[in-house]
Amino acid sequence: MKSKNITLIILGIFFLLFPFIIKSEYYQHLVIIALMWVVIGSSWNLLAGYTGQVSFGHAIFFGVGAYTAGIFVTKLEISAWWGMLFGGFAAMLIALFVGWVCFRLRGPYFALATLAGSEIIRLVATNWESLTDGMVGILIIQSFRSKLPYYYIVLGLAAACIYAIHLLMKSKWGYYFVSIREDQDAAESLGINTTLYKNISLLISAFFAGSAGAFYMNYMAFIDPHVVFSLHYISIMAILVGIVGGVATIMGPAVGAFVMVGVQETFRSAFFGVAPRWISEAHALVFGLLVIFVIMFMANGIVGDWGKIKRVLLGTRPSA
Amino acid sequence: MKKLILVTVLLFSLGLLAGHGISFAEDTIKVGIVLPLTGDQAKFGEIEKLSFDMALEEINGKGGIKGKKIELVIEDDTGRPEVGRSVVEKLITKDKVVMIGGGYSSSVTYAVAGVCQQNQMPFLINTGAADKITEQKWDYIFRLNPPASKYSASVEELLAEVIKPKTVTILHENSLFGTSSAKSFEKSCEKAGYKVLLKQGYEAGGIDFKPVLTQVKQLNPDVVYMVSYVMDAALIMKQSKELKINPKMFIGGAAGFTLPEFQQNAGAASEKIISATLWHQVLPFPGAMDYYNKFKAKFNKETEYHGAEAYAAAYVIADVLNRTKSLKNEDIKKALSETDMMTAFGPVKFTNWDKMTNQNKASSYVVQWIDGKLEMVWPKNLAAKPFVFPVNWLKVWGY
Amino acid sequence: MTVFLQTLVAGVLIGGIYSLIGIGMTLIMGVMGIINLAHGQLMMVAMYITLVLFNVLHFDPYISLFVAMPCLFLLGVLIQKFLLNPLMKIESILPENQVLMTVGIGMVLTEIIRFIFSSDYKSVKTPYSSSAFFIGDISFSLPMCIAFGVALIFTGLLFWFLLKTDIGRSIRATAQDKDAATLMGVNTGRITVITFGLGSALVAAAGSLLLPIFYLFPDVGGPFTLKAFVITILGGLGSTVGAIVGGVVLGIAESLGATYIGMGYKEMVGFVIFVLVLVFLPGGLKRLTKI
Repeated sequence: MKSKNITLIILGIFFLLFPFIIKSEYYQHLVIIALMWVVIGSSWNLLAGYTGQVSFGHAIFFGVGAYTAGIFVTKLEISAWWGMLFGGFAAMLIALFVGWVCFRLRGPYFALATLAGSEIIRLVATNWESLTDGMVGILIIQSFRSKLPYYYIVLGLAAACIYAIHLLMKSKWGYYFVSIREDQDAAESLGINTTLYKNISLLISAFFAGSAGAFYMNYMAFIDPHVVFSLHYISIMAILVGIVGGVATIMGPAVGAFVMVGVQETFRSAFFGVAPRWISEAHALVFGLLVIFVIMFMANGIVGDWGKIKRVLLGTRPSA
Repeated sequence: MKKLILVTVLLFSLGLLAGHGISFAEDTIKVGIVLPLTGDQAKFGEIEKLSFDMALEEINGKGGIKGKKIELVIEDDTGRPEVGRSVVEKLITKDKVVMIGGGYSSSVTYAVAGVCQQNQMPFLINTGAADKITEQKWDYIFRLNPPASKYSASVEELLAEVIKPKTVTILHENSLFGTSSAKSFEKSCEKAGYKVLLKQGYEAGGIDFKPVLTQVKQLNPDVVYMVSYVMDAALIMKQSKELKINPKMFIGGAAGFTLPEFQQNAGAASEKIISATLWHQVLPFPGAMDYYNKFKAKFNKETEYHGAEAYAAAYVIADVLNRTKSLKNEDIKKALSETDMMTAFGPVKFTNWDKMTNQNKASSYVVQWIDGKLEMVWPKNLAAKPFVFPVNWLKVWGY
Repeated sequence: MTVFLQTLVAGVLIGGIYSLIGIGMTLIMGVMGIINLAHGQLMMVAMYITLVLFNVLHFDPYISLFVAMPCLFLLGVLIQKFLLNPLMKIESILPENQVLMTVGIGMVLTEIIRFIFSSDYKSVKTPYSSSAFFIGDISFSLPMCIAFGVALIFTGLLFWFLLKTDIGRSIRATAQDKDAATLMGVNTGRITVITFGLGSALVAAAGSLLLPIFYLFPDVGGPFTLKAFVITILGGLGSTVGAIVGGVVLGIAESLGATYIGMGYKEMVGFVIFVLVLVFLPGGLKRLTKI
């Protein structure tokens, strides 16, 4: 317990001081994006990893959050930062509806329904031009020139998200979530209102994903339906972050987010310009291979299988 | 678990420090180029990259800039704004480029332009066309290509002077470029007094356009105007042929209709179609034809206006670096704003007009597919072949 | 009236191709209960095989169909045997691991193809590519009619295969109750491998038939994967007749949506039907038709 606290303190200090150690805005940007993925991945993990409801449509909540922030600027003419709060709430509203429809279904059917939901909302956002400006997108002016405010805001959001899930999973609700994942019928027969707790899990998950979306709007200053409702780059990426890091672990999605952003940028930039150019064209291939590798050999992700990884790396035998 | 975190943090910081420490000798002038080299826009990014490379070879072959060679750091934005942003941050802080060029899709270009303006890094855009990019009063952002709303200017001239339509239908893909071009074309139609019978957006990549084309056939417009990328364009024309749609003219709003792949895929259905374009090799600009021939000989494929934009941008960059007092950002910006030169793409001069700042006033032209070749037909004084009109479509299609 | 009829015809014909894509998926989902998110990518691979045969050996795409199908059968067998079946023995928290694996497989297939063929758009030009015949004012696209016919033939063959052959019976037994089938002496591991191969071969047929009408680039598969789900859920898991009906219903719904709601909403119509069926008619049309 003690050494865990020390690790957390070191980690905290490292992240608090990071922008002063590394002044390069390029690395700061990468870490900001990675922290944003920590939030999205963790929120997915709460619903999928802990509650067992594998969502293929987290872009719904991310996108709704982003659009809430954007529409605040274009239609209400108030700061997009309000979106950080209300984007989360808007995502929760949508989540209520998504839950109402999709929680009638289980397993793969739930996954498919969320996937269809994200495609539907993307097409609505594309075609409802009077509200969203369609594919013209929403463009705002960034509030800060420096990266520091963005960094600390997203760091705070990520820390809050991880801590909230940590607390949640230690509470009674957390046990309900896991019992639903393990055996929904058994949970039901024990008197747990599974629909209620699945919805609670979904709502909290949607709130954080929506906040991350609102942050994206503020930070990137440009969104369009194909970017924020992307099946491939948001919904599937959220899943990959979760499984690579480790589902149903508190720190898994956080590790996964840094690994995925790191791998993508390393390959995209051809090992920061050291390796031959063609490597950069392989970044998507490496992504795919990484997924296959993780599922085959580290089914519980980097964090979940850390003991196993350590054994392989250090060449020691498992102690009985 | 704790060790894992510690190790990750350590490795991460080591990696950052190592990456930070590398520096390069200053014997070249580095210019960053942002283009989509993977993803679904890679096709156009590739043409532009080859054109940049070709121009660079020529410029450096002639001795470069004041004895120094230019080095283009071409980076892949994968067509996504947040990646584009990573790229430009890297170019500015790690590669220490003196200016940035490229910019293909409008959304990525916008994200990149925002970062450039904030860092006071001169950015010469050569393709990203959404009007609003140069409407932000950003003084470090310059654009070589015209804004999307001006792409159809010469088509509108041709409509008014030759085709004289009464009714128009507009089909466009749902993308920033497609939607905004269609909107501005609709506006100019209303101004000219043509009735817009139908305006429909569609998701790129569909198989079957027949439902909407059947409606078009029923409405029987004088002009069918389409803003589509290359393969959608080919499918729409093939299916129009199948349905025997018979307007006075089919018109493409740049983008896909000028690419060789359009003709290869649509075959007979591409014949006599006209399209707006920003460039054609027969234009009387010095180097236009040379560029076209050289590209074809070197890479064994055709080039078109996107490539010409990139090729010209490289020459503008060289010209600017030659004239600038120093490699400081504000000096380069000043040199950019004083640009007044001729390129293979046409004259380049950045001025403020309408709501836009630092926007080059490039012209647009009309091309027509005649006997399987893309020929320039408008404006009249520059035309290589006479505009074929009226067209008996059923006969062209061999019915 | 012409608009309505033409819309209907276009919808039915495109529905034929959709069904062929859907049949493979319904087979895989019915037997193994997993969603194959690489389905469209498998079709993409088949299309590239057809393209190469056309360019190098000048094979007509309809002939290449008989090459692409065995190739994809083999690919499907390999994927199931070495990538998906081993997962059943791995303990993991989420039962959806196989689904996520197919995501990875899809990405790898797409990128390998991109490495070989680049992102360029490719197409084949056959004399019949854009030929059509007319009945009254209504145009019927020739290659689409052929595709529709072939889809019907394959459905019939598959129906017969599942009903009358030993392997077919084993497949149906595995789909109904895997444990019971194992107890009855069915080698379910082998059956899943064969099923995945068959599903892949069927989508390969769809790819070869689609190539003359459509075009090809490495990312072409994704949207078709989504269509295949819709059809599978609409028709009912494992139901071949359901897949045909589901495909045609989807085609008609999309076409009508495109004509009467708006082209931009075309894809949405399919997804809305999909969610409605999932919620209000779980089991799909199979529940109504019982086959």
